Amino acid sequence: MFILVALVSASMAWGQEEVAVLKGKVIDSADGYPLIGVSVVVEGTKYGAVTDVDGNYELRIPQRKCEVTFSYVGYDDEVKLYTMKNQSAFAKVVMYMNAEQLADVVVTGVYERKKESFTGASATFRTDELKSVGTSNVLQSLKTLDPSFKMMESTQFGSNPNMMPDIEIRGKTSVAGLKEEYGTDPNQPLFILDGFETTLETIMNLNMNRVASVTVLKDAASTAIYGSKASNGVVVIETKAPARGRLQLSYKGDFGLSMADLSDYNLMNAREKLEFETLAGVYKDNIGDPFAQIRLDNLRNERLKEIERGVDTYWLSEPIRPGFTHKHNIYAEGGEDKIRYGIGLSYGNVAGVMKDSDRRTLEGNVDLIYRTGKFQFSNKLSINWLDVTNPTVSFAEYAYANPYYRKYNEDGGIDRYLYYPEEGVDDYPVANPLWNAHLNNWDTASGFGFTNNFIFEWFITEELRLRAKFGITKQDDDEQTRISPLHTQFDDMGETEKGLYTHTQIKELVYEGDAAVTFGKVFARKHTVNAVGGFNFSSTSRRIYGYSANGFTDDRFDAPSFANGYPSGDSPDYSESLKRAASFYINGGYVYDERYLLDFNYRLDGASMFGTGNRFRNTWSVGTGWNIHKEPFMRDGKFFSLLKLRGSVGNPGNQNFSAYQAFSTYKFNGWMTNVFGTGVILNALGNTELAWQETVNYDVGADMTFWGERINMTLDYYWKYTDPLLAVITTPGSMGVTSIAMNAGSQKTRGWEATFKISPVYRPSEGINWNISFNATSSQSEYAGIGNSFSALNENGRASLVGTTRYYDGGSPTAIWAVRSAGIDPATGKELFIKKDGTCSFTYDVNDEVVVGDTQPKVEGVFGTMLYFKGLSVGCYFRYRWGGQVFNSSLFQKVENIGTQEVYNNQDRRALYDRWSENNREAYFKGISLVQKTEKSSRFVMDDNALTGESFNIGYEFPDRIVRRMRLGAMNLQLTMTDVFRATSVRVERGIDYPFARTVTMSLGITF
Amino acid sequence: MRRFTIYILALAMLASVSCDRWLDVKPYDKISQDELLSTEDGFIKLLNGIYIELNSDMLYGGALSVEMIEIMGGAYVIGTDNSVWGNYSDLAGYEYGTEYWRARMNETWNKAYSLILNCNLLLENLETTGVEFSGDNYKIIKGEALALRAMLHFDMLRLFGPVYSRYPDQLSIPYYKQYSVTPNELLPAFEVASAITHDLLEARILLAGDPVRTSGTMMDAPSDGSSTFMYYRNMRLNYYAVTSLLARSALYFGDREKAYDYSVEVIRDAEKVFPFVDKTLVTGSPEDPDRIFSSEVIFALTHSQRSSIFKDYFDPSRIPNYVFRMDNDLMSGIVFGGGAMTGGNQDDYRYRVNWVATGANRYFYKYSDMNDTGNIRNTMIPMIRLGEMYLIAAESRSEDIGAGLAYVNRLRSARGVGNLQTLTEELLQYEYIRELYGEGQLFFMYKRMFAPVLFSTVDSRNPQPSDAIFTVPLPDSETEN
Repeated sequence: MFILVALVSASMAWGQEEVAVLKGKVIDSADGYPLIGVSVVVEGTKYGAVTDVDGNYELRIPQRKCEVTFSYVGYDDEVKLYTMKNQSAFAKVVMYMNAEQLADVVVTGVYERKKESFTGASATFRTDELKSVGTSNVLQSLKTLDPSFKMMESTQFGSNPNMMPDIEIRGKTSVAGLKEEYGTDPNQPLFILDGFETTLETIMNLNMNRVASVTVLKDAASTAIYGSKASNGVVVIETKAPARGRLQLSYKGDFGLSMADLSDYNLMNAREKLEFETLAGVYKDNIGDPFAQIRLDNLRNERLKEIERGVDTYWLSEPIRPGFTHKHNIYAEGGEDKIRYGIGLSYGNVAGVMKDSDRRTLEGNVDLIYRTGKFQFSNKLSINWLDVTNPTVSFAEYAYANPYYRKYNEDGGIDRYLYYPEEGVDDYPVANPLWNAHLNNWDTASGFGFTNNFIFEWFITEELRLRAKFGITKQDDDEQTRISPLHTQFDDMGETEKGLYTHTQIKELVYEGDAAVTFGKVFARKHTVNAVGGFNFSSTSRRIYGYSANGFTDDRFDAPSFANGYPSGDSPDYSESLKRAASFYINGGYVYDERYLLDFNYRLDGASMFGTGNRFRNTWSVGTGWNIHKEPFMRDGKFFSLLKLRGSVGNPGNQNFSAYQAFSTYKFNGWMTNVFGTGVILNALGNTELAWQETVNYDVGADMTFWGERINMTLDYYWKYTDPLLAVITTPGSMGVTSIAMNAGSQKTRGWEATFKISPVYRPSEGINWNISFNATSSQSEYAGIGNSFSALNENGRASLVGTTRYYDGGSPTAIWAVRSAGIDPATGKELFIKKDGTCSFTYDVNDEVVVGDTQPKVEGVFGTMLYFKGLSVGCYFRYRWGGQVFNSSLFQKVENIGTQEVYNNQDRRALYDRWSENNREAYFKGISLVQKTEKSSRFVMDDNALTGESFNIGYEFPDRIVRRMRLGAMNLQLTMTDVFRATSVRVERGIDYPFARTVTMSLGITF
Repeated sequence: MRRFTIYILALAMLASVSCDRWLDVKPYDKISQDELLSTEDGFIKLLNGIYIELNSDMLYGGALSVEMIEIMGGAYVIGTDNSVWGNYSDLAGYEYGTEYWRARMNETWNKAYSLILNCNLLLENLETTGVEFSGDNYKIIKGEALALRAMLHFDMLRLFGPVYSRYPDQLSIPYYKQYSVTPNELLPAFEVASAITHDLLEARILLAGDPVRTSGTMMDAPSDGSSTFMYYRNMRLNYYAVTSLLARSALYFGDREKAYDYSVEVIRDAEKVFPFVDKTLVTGSPEDPDRIFSSEVIFALTHSQRSSIFKDYFDPSRIPNYVFRMDNDLMSGIVFGGGAMTGGNQDDYRYRVNWVATGANRYFYKYSDMNDTGNIRNTMIPMIRLGEMYLIAAESRSEDIGAGLAYVNRLRSARGVGNLQTLTEELLQYEYIRELYGEGQLFFMYKRMFAPVLFSTVDSRNPQPSDAIFTVPLPDSETEN
């Protein structure tokens, strides 16, 4: 209720008219509490007033018939006719909340602005919108609703609930490879929770039922207030504030069932695998030794016999389970005008689709708001506890196991090995994944922390407000893993070295303070001025301690105290980082006659991780807008209720970098001391001249609402120049270091986004609404001015097994580089390559690499529909991507390139078919061979078009009469299915270490 | 309202002043440069750290003293059996292009330049520091750091640069005079030469007050835990070491007269500072001789596990693994045999002390420990020795090499062998082999003289001089980045 928007007009009287004074009080329809800061204006005059802390107003009014308008953000305007006699009608004015309008406020976390008068590109979503597309977490829903917000799908880690996703808004601005170097993702957007910076993990753990709204800030005009942290975009999340009234209790629960999606696996069955091995020559002795050949024949026959007996083991079913997830949230809120309180408790137990894959969170929060006179104090405290377990045997090991082995031996027990070579046979033993999984291994993590955010506000005058904030977060995490001494990985070790226990502790302390002055006033009824100026400081310190111990003798007794000692040569881990930042910022907005808009931001940032030579940096942005629908020539039309053009430019920066890269640091020469004592030597060379990575960001856009609010459209076109890029580049050895963090080159990105929402049936009064939504986005990037700086990365890419990313001027960061292939020569079975000059050759030369595709699709987005009929709602959303390519690593590694070791793993079914041979010359794949190396060529690059059933849902809001009969305040029920189906143009194994999941969730909300 | 604005402004100004200091974060889990170099002790530790790292097996703890460089200098018999000799046979054939040797050269190059970077950081901070240094320490530290920088560059030039006497104008290596985050250009060899000379000359001036000139090497450091910084002067690049480096480099750069002047200066003062090894230490205690002739060593590294050098490369008990030793014919026919024709003689202390027979072969014992464990001599890796100064003086006495005969004979008499009657380039080379065997100088001598590398007594088995064998290609990391 206290969203303070300073649309205030001062009362002044300078006419010769006779004036009277009208007194009254404005209250909220919902709870009867007074509304503060409501603007009361006498139409056609200069008279106006604003309600005070108790909702009272005193309005000077001319003694004639006139209209009085009451307006307040988030509420419908109330217009009353003054007849000089009906003063009593003005004594108590009731205003009605307008839920739709609430979303029309842009919350940046530093200030709030009416969407209509804001020039930035942003999108705001309310909790019910987010919940209607998914219930797992805020970000998962956000990716369905906003085209610019992308959650990278991880082929490696699938739907592992304990793996944090990579997130991007409007694409990457940093060179890949930095994440590996520094652990922080340099493309990750900034997350703001209730006005304070927070981590991705906190947002992922946040119970969705606590969230009030989420705003995505995309362009410079909206993000520049965050200065040097903003170039990747900002996600602003506001949790619910307690509502006034008598104590109200609500319960929200989500109950989900997840099933592994193994449809992307295309593994051989037992018979196929044996045939493949036979064709590959596994059962043929390569030097033709007759004794060895007899052994191999016997081995094959034994396996064949097993197959004849019906052995065809499906290993993939072994580590998976139906994952049952349940989350609960209880919230009690209440209070009166002066003091309001909210107490909540959330519990979540997310069970992944792999056994032993759990994530349990418990969070308690206390929200207090106290208001007295011109001061308001609010405090949000939350305490969280986290408990995580991970499977100790990766999914890949089950995918490798051959189907002609039995899971259990005759006695029903689990054998250590599926195959163990006889004495004197030079062969690899095959470990049984079930053996390693059934041991007493564990991989756990637990965490405990709290966050306390305190905000003090002083309403100095109607126009001027001071706000001071201080937030502190303490988080301690503890990770422990244990591998049993009976694990097959220790087979070659001495008895006293078997088993491994590791313990890592992470201690983090973050604090942030902020003081700001906000000013808002309407001058002469036409000039609206808003301004914010403030100071912010923050500090993040992180310490990591760790050690490992080995030499366990027993599987069952697993306490670390049973360890024999420490691994030899191992030393304790310790690392520490401290980052500090301090900034000043100013934001100003000017609106002329609600038509012409101008915003500007300036921020001065200082951060400890940048060199003394470049410690401070300026961020600026300018945005302009034109509300065409407010123009006189449009006002009559009524067709457009919103038609705004806007444009912005600014230079937000990025500081997701390591703490000490600007410093030279030294270490002791640990390996030797001499007669002169100890010595120290350079550990890492800092670059004091390191400049901040900066992205100049241009955006033009249009927002439209027309045809009786039935059509909503937002269009944006943007282009970004990141210059300089910050990268760890390899240097000539003569510089004394082999790599250094440096500024090198630049990156250009161009893209567009579109969001449409059409309501063919729109009857809000009857509670009937059908809408169709569609969003799309596309972007392209290229490097410039990088020269040879990344030659080592290119070199590594060429040498690596499946690396297809290269760094060249003019090249796209997402391009796939490989040598073009003309296919398999039917005559010889060899691959024919196309050289750079267009000629064909059987010889592979890395220098012939060209761009053969791009993983960035030409267009992607989500379309869907939603139908509301009285209390019932039905919706479905589909994700599409079109025009991208992918390097099919499954074909590359599991069809061809199967070497003498890989042949013992189960493989993609396609490895057996469509292979070149004397009898099958027109084949797509080379002949079966264990020694032939296949190089990266365009033969494995395929179009990657996809359509996914991202979210289907059906919900029901129980009508009042039923709810009352049940003595409840409100009740709703929703069923959501996510990742229902997936249709793709290419078949690639996804979920290598952890499978993807399909989920059905039932959500229940009850207010007592 | 106005007063309020003033408050805000005052607060903002206060904040901005304290801000810069607040943002100055020092790491705790590493030693920050500012913290380290805020005391004299920090500079001393950093300088010592550089000396310690010279012992790395990529540099003088292996590759540039007994291993890689000596193989290139023809010192050892290298077999052809790959299971025993691994990659060494490639190197003995000067196949620098193999993956293994490219990686090894790269490693040596990177390590040398990383220490040059350490010198530069030390020197640069020395310029800007406000630390008060006691006594002559400032000059000593600066002088030694400059000399270290010059020495490392000099060895990189000798290894990767052109044959200087033939192509002084050819591009060679970069010379880093300061810390830089942008790579320096390759310079013509003569420019590198002048930078090396310049640094050494400056170091010599700074080290003019080096106590080694008055008090000698001072091997009797106090054992009460007080600072040993100004002791063991022969373990540091002292005044004479720098002068010797000037002699060595002047000869390499073809400046004969300078080479003569510097070497003679060292020879003149050596009588009291670096006396020839006492005959009784070598011949009087045949069970436990001072094998490296420690009193004559002008500059040595101190390597706490030096015994591993003997164990890893020379110990006959390594058989059937490889063991480095001299070709038998070369030893008996030329180096320590052959009489007046070669100057080789089995009475030579250098033979009697350092070559011990096991079976049919003699093995090299220069780096085996003395019985007296804990003796500092057991840690020394000789980098510059007095004998080399005599040989430089002999070679640079005059255009006519014969004129240096007296210097060679003075050295020979200290080694217990008779005079040579004449001096030729070959005879001088033999003397170099006797004196500096296993110390990483032979390859550079052949390269300097552009002479065949003596692996054996059979001419056809001794590689003829060529740029291909003498010039190691620049490492990949240098050319590709």
